[in-house]
Amino acid sequence: MIIKISWRNIWRNKMRSLIIMMSVTVGIFAGVMVLSLYKGMINSRIATVIYSEIGHLQIHDTSFKKDFEPIYTLKDGNKILHQLKNFPEVKYVATRSLAMGMLSTTTGSSGVQINGIDSEQENRISQLEQKIKEGAPFSKNKYNQIYVGRKLADKLKLKLGSKLVLTSTDISNEIVSSAFKVAAIYESDNARLDEMNVYIKQTALNDMIGVGNQFHQIIIILKNDSSLNSVQAKLSQQFENHLIENWKTISPETELMVDTVDITSYIIIGIILFALAFGIINTMLMAILERTKEIGMMMALGMNKLRLFLLVLTETFLLTIAGVPIGILISWLVANYYHEHGIKWSESEKEMMQSFGFNTTIYTDFPEEKIGMVVFIVVLTALFSCIYPSIKALQLKPVEALSK
Amino acid sequence: MNTVIDAHNISKIYNKESIPVYAINNVHLHIERGEFTALIGPSGSGKTTLLNLIGGLDRPDQGKIEINGTDITKMSSNELINFRLKNIGFVFQSFNLIPVLTARENVSFVMELQGKSKLERNERVHALFSQIGLEDKLDSLPSQLSGGQQQRVAVARALASKPQFVLADEPTANLDTVAANKLMDIMALLNKEEKMTFVFSTHDPRVIERARRVITLVDGCISSDTAKVSTQ
Repeated sequence: MIIKISWRNIWRNKMRSLIIMMSVTVGIFAGVMVLSLYKGMINSRIATVIYSEIGHLQIHDTSFKKDFEPIYTLKDGNKILHQLKNFPEVKYVATRSLAMGMLSTTTGSSGVQINGIDSEQENRISQLEQKIKEGAPFSKNKYNQIYVGRKLADKLKLKLGSKLVLTSTDISNEIVSSAFKVAAIYESDNARLDEMNVYIKQTALNDMIGVGNQFHQIIIILKNDSSLNSVQAKLSQQFENHLIENWKTISPETELMVDTVDITSYIIIGIILFALAFGIINTMLMAILERTKEIGMMMALGMNKLRLFLLVLTETFLLTIAGVPIGILISWLVANYYHEHGIKWSESEKEMMQSFGFNTTIYTDFPEEKIGMVVFIVVLTALFSCIYPSIKALQLKPVEALSK
Repeated sequence: MNTVIDAHNISKIYNKESIPVYAINNVHLHIERGEFTALIGPSGSGKTTLLNLIGGLDRPDQGKIEINGTDITKMSSNELINFRLKNIGFVFQSFNLIPVLTARENVSFVMELQGKSKLERNERVHALFSQIGLEDKLDSLPSQLSGGQQQRVAVARALASKPQFVLADEPTANLDTVAANKLMDIMALLNKEEKMTFVFSTHDPRVIERARRVITLVDGCISSDTAKVSTQ
């Protein structure tokens, strides 16, 4: 009976109730779209981190990451590569030789990380050649070719064919230099990394720093994201003298971003509904004050305070919750549309997003796993909103209410 | 025991802090089961206040009210609500049906509060609607009923919980003559057939004429209490 009276009471003033329901719908839509946008951005960022920058897992010599000395190549690197073939979870592997150095041109210089790569392997794990905006991939016949990022190229006024000198230290700690020609200018979603990283052939870097046919890093792409922890545990057990790290450890800022965005999105929904709560309180209060006599009559007939509270609570709950399915449905439709078509940032926003390592087109992702939490927040809002109107209703005395 | 209402020396005083106004002043009232009693008196004489006091809607400042031997003046507000639910039926001047419920649901409402089963409720609703002659209006909303019909539904609602007595505050005040007579016929019939005790306040001479006992209130005091030879 309480549900029946509550539901019908809502429709006594259709326009007022519809406005509140629409407000809830808009609030839910806004909140879920924020979640969709954040989820899309984070998923895109994680995909970029894994599939374009650092892979799922990396293996290094335990000392290499302390000071990036070229002498700390992976011991038994080729043997490890061979053994990784026995891991069914592993999709691709690639090796990189690494050196910290200085890139110099006639116009200036910049500190860079020199990545010695095997083009074929590298393309499988980071699609480097797809990021080339000018120029062409390494030629088999040419030795001293280099890829530079767009940001670095702009900074040092480098063009295709420009000559430059890379300086680093070899395994004996002697300073070594080599000249290179720009073969291609690449552009990824992460402008900061583009400015920091240059790519040359692995053989060229190995010769320069004197590591022979060894390398410093193995990058692993898994077939399935969910097997990350189990594969890492197995690798750590099998190669216990090496440093096995996953992308979350290598890129803690991405992990932090995921956590922060999760909390932020809930706070945003909370703020939206908190603001809406005042509209709901106002509506419920008006509804209670308009029905003072009726409430007095119900109390006179024997409706106790608990039932009266339940009546106000149910009415508030129904008024609040009625807009939720519509809000979720609309946001699902819109999120799916932009999941297909993407939201493109304007030119001015593009640069900012790239500087944070985000894709320039955001594909929203409907956060189905968070809908339960959204509904929970809505229920909390309804509970919060019914407190004051309930107090007002419970304070009524039947004899006074009936005389109004 | 045939005494339903026993009020001893009850007073209700307003403006106690400044100039006290005695809405009810030292009233003794004794109502037996099956009475059909009218409370009359000029406006402001205390009729409604007295009904509110014996109905447990308000508390006296002095004195004691016993319903079926139970002192209701010492009850907490929650105890009073439960007591009213089980023992007292109300009919209000302006009908006061719940506008979003149909006539059937309005009558069923009190029984639901009492926790009666659906079968029990349905049987009672049909019996009452048959008595008030509105079997064809079961599913009408109050807004679809005339004033007289609404008040008959209100009487059915008051009786639905099988109370000890029914208090009616000027039940015919908003009704035309035909509707008022019809309502009084029904109340008199229920009083006769179900031995239901009715206490009602009124100004209406047609209603006073139908009462078997007439209590006159003046300035919060009972000025006369006349039992009549049955006119039914």
